[in-house]
Amino acid sequence: MKLAELQTRFQAGIVKGDTTILASIADSRKTDRATLFAVYHDAYRLRLAEFLSTDFPVLRVHLGEEAFERLVGGYIESAPSRQPNARWYGTRLPDFMQKTAPWRRNRGAIDLARFERALLDAFDAPDAPISTIDALRDIGAEDWPRLAFEFHPSVRLLDLAGGTARIYAALAAEEEAPAIQQGEEAIVFWRNDGQSFYRLLAEDERLAVIEAQQGRNFGDICALLAFQRNDAGVTQRAAGFLSQWFADGLVTRLAISD
Amino acid sequence: MEKPSPLGFGLGLRPVYYQEILEKSPRVDWFEVISENFMVPGGRPLAMLERIRGTYPIVMHGVSMSIASTAPLDFDYLKALKSLASRIQPEWISDHLCWTGVHGVNLHDLLPVPYTSEALDHVVDRIRRVQDFLGRRLAIENVSSYVTFAESQMDEWTFIREMAERADCWLLLDVNNVFVSSFNHSFDQANFIDAIPDDRVVQLHLAGHTEAVTHKIDTHDQPICEEVWLLYHDVCPRFGLISTMIERDDNFPPFDELMAELDRARAIAACARTQAQEAVT
Repeated sequence: MKLAELQTRFQAGIVKGDTTILASIADSRKTDRATLFAVYHDAYRLRLAEFLSTDFPVLRVHLGEEAFERLVGGYIESAPSRQPNARWYGTRLPDFMQKTAPWRRNRGAIDLARFERALLDAFDAPDAPISTIDALRDIGAEDWPRLAFEFHPSVRLLDLAGGTARIYAALAAEEEAPAIQQGEEAIVFWRNDGQSFYRLLAEDERLAVIEAQQGRNFGDICALLAFQRNDAGVTQRAAGFLSQWFADGLVTRLAISD
Repeated sequence: MEKPSPLGFGLGLRPVYYQEILEKSPRVDWFEVISENFMVPGGRPLAMLERIRGTYPIVMHGVSMSIASTAPLDFDYLKALKSLASRIQPEWISDHLCWTGVHGVNLHDLLPVPYTSEALDHVVDRIRRVQDFLGRRLAIENVSSYVTFAESQMDEWTFIREMAERADCWLLLDVNNVFVSSFNHSFDQANFIDAIPDDRVVQLHLAGHTEAVTHKIDTHDQPICEEVWLLYHDVCPRFGLISTMIERDDNFPPFDELMAELDRARAIAACARTQAQEAVT
């Protein structure tokens, strides 16, 4: 048999439980070929399940051992790894939950999976220098409206089910989780000094982050917020966001837009 | 063909030990890293590796090159590997005589190769192409295996010897894998060791495994067993001063326990070399 055919059969034996490959394997002096091939078949599932348990520890607690095992089993059967690096095997888990019964009805669990994945993605995101608030000192007052921001590559904004961040925090601290809430909450994820962080955003700061990520300058953002809020204190509030973004380490570079 | 200078006695660099290594600068001669763990866009692992690289020599050890696969070589993977090597400047790069998947799937396992002339030609060609791409020799490691293919036409050690000569690559001899495979396939360890060309071997691996009554499984989650220490003692004179490291990938003990195993490896190597010299004189 050609090598390519043998490898195809071997893989089918592991992934699909196809027994055709056993015809190409000899019994050992101590046991039969099926027992020996099962080492590969079983290790495949154990290894992938371990990757997922490592990547989604809070989801595991949230669902409970039995349900998490069912989820992991279903994911492994439907989604073989296509990455040389196991770190990204679980990337598609939230989408799998979104599309698959019974998980697709469990918004809280899906969004907890998204939350944990976002922390992992922030952890591995590309490096970039962090800018401090001191950078603002070099900006003349007349240039402030044209101030544009470049965010750290790890910065990601997600709209998740209301209460997801509190549920995560409680379960991670081995405390009782609060119930999921109505509506959505906006959470920004990022990395600073090698650690992943998250923070809930109020509606106006969410809007400001989205606009800033799209390259809108500070003046445009303030104008948009003023339009939304119809509030004279908008500039103060926007300056507060800016200060927090620097304190968090979200900003890598400032530029004056044309 | 000049082999890289021996690095001494090393350990696997694993995140659970980062803090201890940075704070105590333990008496480890070098560290081996799993290449894929650092083939990421950025973040803490790379920063840690660069800090530790400032103090210790590093060897890059991969698990996903899939050198024996019939799938096309993954040049995205190889570019990322080359880029990491350019950043870290490892003493050498190693991977396994195995395949990890076909048809776009990665099974995240070190899957066995049938020892056929077709497989040998295939592996030799791929090692040569990868070496050309990376601009350096690879060190290829023997794996633990659990099945014997009816198609095989030669012994594992004959395959490895031929592969090393024809591909002009280095070898990484995993002593534990020789022990595990010799039990699983009922071969004489000495036949394996004696057939391996010593001028090709740049590194030894030591590790623990799991017993499953009728077979042994390479798990790297246990201390090195007495039989593997004994085999290591027998292997040492053959390869002289050679870079040796202990792999531990799960069930992590306190760092001091790994240091104690490393000291035992140092003592056995010194003792075995002395005995060999006395035997000669």
